[in-house]
Amino acid sequence: MSKLIPSAAKFLAGNTITKVTAPVVATNAKYSTKKEATFEIKPYKLHKLDQGPATSATLTSEDALKLYEQLTILRRIETASGNLYKEKIIRGFCHLYSGQEAVAVGMRAAMRDADSVITAYRCHGWTYLMGVSVLGVLSELTGRRTGCSRGKGGSMHLYGRNFYGGNGIVGAQRLGRRYPLNKQYQDVHQSIN
Amino acid sequence: MALKSSPAVLGMLTRLSRRSFATSKALASKPVTVRDALNQAIDEEMERDEKVFVLGEEVAQYDGAYKVTRGLWKKYGDKRVIDTPITEAGFAGIAVGAAFAGLKPICEFMTFNFSMQAIDHIINSAAKTFYMSAGTVPVPIVFRGPNGAASGVAAQHSQCFGAWYSHCPGLKVLMPYSAEDAKGLLKAAIRDPDPVVMLEDEIMYGIPFPMSDEAQSKDFVLPIGKAKVEREGRHITLVCAGRGTDTALKAAEQLAGSKGIECEVVNLRTIRPMDFDTIARSIAKTHHLITVEQGWPQSGIGAEICARVMESPSFFELDAPVWRVCGADVPMPYARTLEAHAVPGPADVVDAVTSVLGNKISAVQAQ
Repeated sequence: MSKLIPSAAKFLAGNTITKVTAPVVATNAKYSTKKEATFEIKPYKLHKLDQGPATSATLTSEDALKLYEQLTILRRIETASGNLYKEKIIRGFCHLYSGQEAVAVGMRAAMRDADSVITAYRCHGWTYLMGVSVLGVLSELTGRRTGCSRGKGGSMHLYGRNFYGGNGIVGAQRLGRRYPLNKQYQDVHQSIN
Repeated sequence: MALKSSPAVLGMLTRLSRRSFATSKALASKPVTVRDALNQAIDEEMERDEKVFVLGEEVAQYDGAYKVTRGLWKKYGDKRVIDTPITEAGFAGIAVGAAFAGLKPICEFMTFNFSMQAIDHIINSAAKTFYMSAGTVPVPIVFRGPNGAASGVAAQHSQCFGAWYSHCPGLKVLMPYSAEDAKGLLKAAIRDPDPVVMLEDEIMYGIPFPMSDEAQSKDFVLPIGKAKVEREGRHITLVCAGRGTDTALKAAEQLAGSKGIECEVVNLRTIRPMDFDTIARSIAKTHHLITVEQGWPQSGIGAEICARVMESPSFFELDAPVWRVCGADVPMPYARTLEAHAVPGPADVVDAVTSVLGNKISAVQAQ
């Protein structure tokens, strides 16, 4: 067997693509240096409305980088979860958010800090965005005591500040309808005082 | 490779011939998985009666979420095997309505945890109607699906509904263990004119069991309301159903081997109406009783058995109090170690048996 290795190495080396270093460029013009960018949004069809949502949005470069960082972190969390699931370290169900990260990141960017979120079982992304650390999410998925639900919830039962899960049964999001009721209740209650 | 001795060769050949499973009904010696037994039952009943149809999530084109309805859509078509959207309240209501109109639906829930979305239809629309209508509106419907804990699916997907459904008058509740149980009970359920809830078990689906010749017949029906003594014994009775039977049988093996304690294992098969006579006869023989179930302890199946024993002459046959071996009184945790502690295993049953037989163990061994 050991006699094969040098010849195998030569065989493999013959097919290797040698890395060519990129030519050094004088300026850093690879990355945009603009401070902000404006995007046109497709106009909405309006029904009985005088005015619709804004048709253009402006994004500063710091915000863009923050959003991009969140998108990448979510993707990496989900890729890691997928691999752990294949190794059977994550058991039961594992619903991944890969590909739809922009939905959560965009909503989070438009939300206020006081807003609450409730979602269904595809909740890993939202858990991170609502303030649970990456370690908290992955520990919970692998059933550890350091997880955000101390290992008792698993993939579908992750909770955080102003974040009500993580629900396994389809349709449980209707619990979210209590928020307008709560607000109405509080308003009435305050007005009595 | 060295030449193998003839017993070893024979062993290899037997293993090779045993490898092909289960959808053919030719030989009685071929083991049949619970999944295939259920498939045979539904197939035979659909062939026998045109009014029988199946509806549920993924039952048609996907061949069933757990492959229990494999091949049925190809054989019977869209009219009799119906895929539904993810709305249990919707399709259970449609199924009960169809039963009112005279059809015989088999309503599959992907797991019984989702049946809670439709439980109003199961109880108020199906279970109570025959009574409320003074017998003028029968509801020949079967609700079936996997029940209880699978592996690692956490709190909202692991509940056992045996206690909940068996609480309600108007329902018949079945909990099969082996492939024969599954086939015979499902056929009986489909032929039954009353609403039946059939609580299967996801982990048992893949386990093969030997099927006797008579179980292969198209008219093999097990009586609803009759328990089976899976294993004879004389020291203590273990009453169980569904996967609890598997746990109890394993514990009985261990006890017979290590401590010489002979357990009589009674597989209830039907939770409602419960076959108390078989339990009473067994208690008269062994004078000790343990119930084994996966569900939570309070108001569970074991609690019901204890109450019935207390209220009957069987109480005076007991030499020790009854003990319930149940799931832990918590929502099912996700972490593997916690889950293992939350579900009763053979070791828990062995511990319970030793406690109940108490200081009589040395007397038992001396017999």
